[in-house]
Amino acid sequence: MQIYLPIAELPLSLFLLLGMGAAVGFIAGLFGVGGGFLLTPFLIFIGVPAPVAVATSSVHIAASSVTGALTYWRRQALDLHLGVVLIIGGVLGTVLGVMFFNQMRRLGFLDLIITLSYVTLLMSIGCLMFVESIGSMIERRLQRRKGTVAPPPVRPEKAWHQRFPLQMQFTRSKLTTSVIPIIMLGTIIGFVGTVLGIGGGFLVVPALIYLFRIPTNVVVGTSLLQILMTMVVAIFLHATVSQAVDIMLGLVLVVGGVIGAQFGVRTGQTLKGEQFRLLLALLILAVGVRFAYEIVGKPLDPFVISTVEVER
Amino acid sequence: MKGLAALLIGLAALASLPARAQELVLTLSTREVAITSTYTGADITAFGFIERDVRSVTRAAPFEIIATVQGPVGDITVHRKGQLGPIWLTAARERFARIPTYFALLSARPTEEIVAPEAAQRLKLSLTDYLPPLENLSAGDYAEQTEFRQALLRLRQEEGALVVDPKAVTMVRPNLFTVKVNVPGKAPVGLYVINVTVISEGVVLRTAQAGFVVRKVGFDAAVAEAAKNRAPLYALATILVAVLLGWVANFAFRRD
Repeated sequence: MQIYLPIAELPLSLFLLLGMGAAVGFIAGLFGVGGGFLLTPFLIFIGVPAPVAVATSSVHIAASSVTGALTYWRRQALDLHLGVVLIIGGVLGTVLGVMFFNQMRRLGFLDLIITLSYVTLLMSIGCLMFVESIGSMIERRLQRRKGTVAPPPVRPEKAWHQRFPLQMQFTRSKLTTSVIPIIMLGTIIGFVGTVLGIGGGFLVVPALIYLFRIPTNVVVGTSLLQILMTMVVAIFLHATVSQAVDIMLGLVLVVGGVIGAQFGVRTGQTLKGEQFRLLLALLILAVGVRFAYEIVGKPLDPFVISTVEVER
Repeated sequence: MKGLAALLIGLAALASLPARAQELVLTLSTREVAITSTYTGADITAFGFIERDVRSVTRAAPFEIIATVQGPVGDITVHRKGQLGPIWLTAARERFARIPTYFALLSARPTEEIVAPEAAQRLKLSLTDYLPPLENLSAGDYAEQTEFRQALLRLRQEEGALVVDPKAVTMVRPNLFTVKVNVPGKAPVGLYVINVTVISEGVVLRTAQAGFVVRKVGFDAAVAEAAKNRAPLYALATILVAVLLGWVANFAFRRD
């Protein structure tokens, strides 16, 4: 069954869109990442014009984040304070990102440098997480065989991020730390997200888990809250500036997405910490490989039609 | 059945027209294609009648038809990727300004068999001629341009925005024909023009033109209008839809 999309201006299969929405929503709910990195290229692949694909993905991401964040909130696995501090940093980063983007656009190789650094970043985070999670899996198995349980890792008296001023207590995250490193993290994510046009879930989740030692499920819920806020702003900007948000396409994707997200959250709750980290590591590596392939892989066709603008 | 009805209407329209010396009369099965939520493209039939009277030169060879369909004009940009060390990046780009975003070349047999290349070029009856001519170029530029043009033609054909169909024209009688025009679902909205040329023994006898409009109606038109003219409101509505559905799903799937 086909449905005509009034802004994308083409008919597409309803069930294909619902299915894709659900699949991406599942990943979003499970890992606390937006999923735009999967959805946007898919939409472009099936014929949606690139600006509409980018703008409308944000509608899907917003809806899956709402449903995911609410579920985590109900399970007391969302740190509102932490989320708000991250969002403050995120807004700052977005403003800086827009300024940087407009200033540096004329320098031709900038995109390439950013993409390369992003690939490097993703690959290193993915590899480190992969090794770490496999390591703790083996450790756990050895312990079980020996029949002894190792004492839980002792937190250092004062971690690096606690040495800054402006200490604040984040109850849900079981963390007392300075707001400065968290605002910095939010700023970096907002900046990278704006410049590369991709949500920062991939950076937020590992950073909060490894750098701040926050429990995994709280990280996912909080990340979803931050993504939601970013996407609401993104939808507004896309709809008013580029006028490329397709509400029909968004609606169909969202219906699939919220259902997928619910199942994602449920699956996430049944995973052990190291299993979660291993799966997330594989996902991050896959995204890194995709970005890397885009720039080093020999294109099937050296020619591509980049834009078709109809005169109105 | 629908096609037959359209054919009858078309013939009735033809019959009512006054006869003149060797005239080409053209009419379309519809003048407007309305886009609704279930739109997946449209089939339009052009009916043509070649009127002959005593003054017409008697020709042994049959009439042949070449039809072109041009959609709204637009700008198309083609990128070419090149290698820099291990990295592939966009090395060159070419912008084709004001060319039809939909173009079809329709006939009953391959057009090269109907009309000589020079005549085809003059009459814009071949695919390369729908692009603006190449003028005042050095040899290197010419080769580069040609490469981009060929890529454009190939890619647009793959997308279905450029159509060559040597079976779209049917000669119902020696002087009565139909042209089947398929407007793909993703063809842009706007004005489409059908140009029909009657050829006999490689000589052009007559041309005629007809047009139809593809436009959004009802809900789809309202959405497009709101997105354009009431952008902030449209943005808020979209955000509301996303948040509301997310919230509803949270209750619908609640188990704990």
